[in-house]
Amino acid sequence: MTLQRHLLIAVAVGAPCVLDAQTEGAILIRGATIHTAAGAPLVNASILIRGGKIVAIGANLSAPAGVKIIDGTGNVVTPGMIDNHSHIGAKSTDLNDSPMVIGPQHRFLDALDLGDPDWKDAVSGGVTTVVTGPGSGENVSGMAVVIKTFGPDLVRRILLEKGGMKFAMGAKSRDRYPTTTMGVAANLRQYLIKTQEYVAAQKKWEDDGRKGNPPARDLGYESMADVLSKKTYVRAHVHAATDVMTLVRLKDEFGFDLTLHHSTEAYKVAPELAKRGISAVVLPLGPRIGVGEDAMAGPYVLWKAGVKIAMHTDAPVINQKWLRLCAALAMRYGIPEDEALKMVTRNAAEIARVSDRVGTLEVGKDADLVMFDGPWYEPRSRVELVIGDGQVIFERAKEGN
Amino acid sequence: MTIRVLSTVGVLVLAGTGLSAQSRAVAIRGGTVLPVSGPAIPNGTVVFKDGKIVAVGANVAIPSGALIVEARGKYVIPGVVDAASHIGIEASDLNEASDPVTPGLRAIESYNPFGTFGSGKAGPLRNAEALSGGVTTMYIAPADASILGGQGAVVKTAGPTLEAVILREPAAMDMTLGTPPKSAARARNRDPYTRMAEVAMLRQALIRGQEYQRNKQQTPTMARDLGMEALGKLLRREIPARIQANAATDIRSALGLAQEFGFDLIIDGGAGAWEYRDDLAARKIPVVLGQVSHPYISNEEIPDQGDYPPVDERLPARLTAAGIKTAIATFSRAFGSLAPAGAGKWLLIDAGIAAGFGMSDADVLKAVTLVPAQILGVSNRIGSLDIGKDADVVVLDGDPLSVRTWVQRVYVNGELVFEK
Repeated sequence: MTLQRHLLIAVAVGAPCVLDAQTEGAILIRGATIHTAAGAPLVNASILIRGGKIVAIGANLSAPAGVKIIDGTGNVVTPGMIDNHSHIGAKSTDLNDSPMVIGPQHRFLDALDLGDPDWKDAVSGGVTTVVTGPGSGENVSGMAVVIKTFGPDLVRRILLEKGGMKFAMGAKSRDRYPTTTMGVAANLRQYLIKTQEYVAAQKKWEDDGRKGNPPARDLGYESMADVLSKKTYVRAHVHAATDVMTLVRLKDEFGFDLTLHHSTEAYKVAPELAKRGISAVVLPLGPRIGVGEDAMAGPYVLWKAGVKIAMHTDAPVINQKWLRLCAALAMRYGIPEDEALKMVTRNAAEIARVSDRVGTLEVGKDADLVMFDGPWYEPRSRVELVIGDGQVIFERAKEGN
Repeated sequence: MTIRVLSTVGVLVLAGTGLSAQSRAVAIRGGTVLPVSGPAIPNGTVVFKDGKIVAVGANVAIPSGALIVEARGKYVIPGVVDAASHIGIEASDLNEASDPVTPGLRAIESYNPFGTFGSGKAGPLRNAEALSGGVTTMYIAPADASILGGQGAVVKTAGPTLEAVILREPAAMDMTLGTPPKSAARARNRDPYTRMAEVAMLRQALIRGQEYQRNKQQTPTMARDLGMEALGKLLRREIPARIQANAATDIRSALGLAQEFGFDLIIDGGAGAWEYRDDLAARKIPVVLGQVSHPYISNEEIPDQGDYPPVDERLPARLTAAGIKTAIATFSRAFGSLAPAGAGKWLLIDAGIAAGFGMSDADVLKAVTLVPAQILGVSNRIGSLDIGKDADVVVLDGDPLSVRTWVQRVYVNGELVFEK
């Protein structure tokens, strides 16, 4: 890959240097195979980005004056990758507030450290957006955040502040309630009922003309009320098929939006999920974690049944830079290449509710993209270049390796 | 792949022998043969009989009556060697964490090769998970909660009996420095809390070992001590030490211990080995690196990255170029119910990352076959496709380092033990 800055003609002839507002910071990548995650791959194609957005994509784009041209010949371009489930950006001691058991008022945002080295790692692997959130040490552990992996300004980085409410199935303790999966289900159901009652009390006060003091606010119920009103959705850590069905029953009963996470045995009840439009974020299949061959084929079974799925690293369990290998391993079991790519781009964005901004290479979307020196799914391929919000944020040539 | 059955009677006889060394010759022909010990052989043939390789080449005579396996368009490589693994050991059997110094323990006594992990079923001795990744030989050892965990073994992943799968036992004295034993100790409120204590406790144990050997020589009727006897094998250089050391500090300590007590050393993990490359090369100390993608696998589900050197995917290429015998291994183990199978089956895929970071494809393949066989001291038996070596042969449907490639057939000692 060669980076080539074309000088403005005005500069060449010695005239005063006036940067064209239309082309300042614009980048044109040409000659690459572009996987847009929104259609068939484009061969020998170009993509023009400006002002942090994608402004054109196609076979024969002409280069505006002053644009930085990147030769993508022989390279492969994909959307910036999106890891739908991780825990990066915070200290490991800030992931779980286990004594609380149910703590929907917790916001992962409040634990984020922009200086965490995990962010740079993510960028070096082409991951430009992540859902990062609290761990699974509680039945309800709080609100995740959807955030870009680069840039100094936290507010600008955040794509969605209410990035999903984390539930975790399976007993988390042998010492205190709940110690069984039955107990976890009952605990969740009771809390959701109390939230309904809390919402009803608030509504009654409004309906009665706001007479007297309002009912006391409770951060936990207030937060869970956003789940019941579908302002946000449930992200449920779940492995066993029986726990998947418990979640399905809770969804049917309380009507919230649900996504499954890890979803180890979700394939065993794939039709139940497809019928209800429940999406699944599936096993961290990176090279560090191995599961039996039946479960390895699980993502394929889910995909075949019409369940929308995304892959995840659960970083730092799997190093986030190898998100693409998680999708590659799923490909081995029958998922076609471009469908596998969607599982770390478009689908991940849709499940995270940020697909208006990221996940595909389409005009008007954020200019987040990755350029590889070979197929995106091959272990030996290297990330050559990462662009985030229209800026070059990783360049292999400058990394010295 | 098609198998041409030349003699029905022969096949029946073969089937009847189960997993005993095959007596009928098998010829895998027409594939791209990568013997590892030499250049690739396009359109090559590998012939084996009685469990041993009898011919490898482009124009070899196929014995009459041989079972012919057509491998056109396929790749044929030696069985993959995972130089560090725990696959086949139950999670609850990985660590005798009650005591940080247990030289008398033997990993072989926790090893269950019956394939109850993952998709394997009880029956013949086949570690199906390992075999599905083409892994035919592994070094298995206690995990890293203790500073001196015990004795490791080199085993094959298939065989007719438990005795038959053992290639070398004990194969090494397994030790760990750095974070994992500290974490385990702190969780149990016992020593060692610090690196200082780790090294002091190891030195004290080795000194006791020296004294035991001396006293035993002077007084042969002295009471036996299993752990001290095992340390004798290390001190007499009958077996090497495998010291898991990732941080450069820990590598320095390992080098110092080997110097002080005069034992042979193999560095496990080695994420910080670049800093001591000159010492490692000069003293011919090999390094068994962890996964290229996740170099410091440990007991911690989420390792504290601050305790380890930054991940450097170039390390396999750089250490190899520095003249250090460098293997890539998985250190794979089960993660409880989440991942009961372990990731050992992806050794080739993980090592493939190194091919993007300055290592030739041939060197990557060597780092998971011949080099680990040499480090494990069993290269007379395995590690390459050469006449006289065990017929541990893997047939793949494509480039061995591609994620799209599947292992199609695995032979161990000439027996077909895995077929996709």
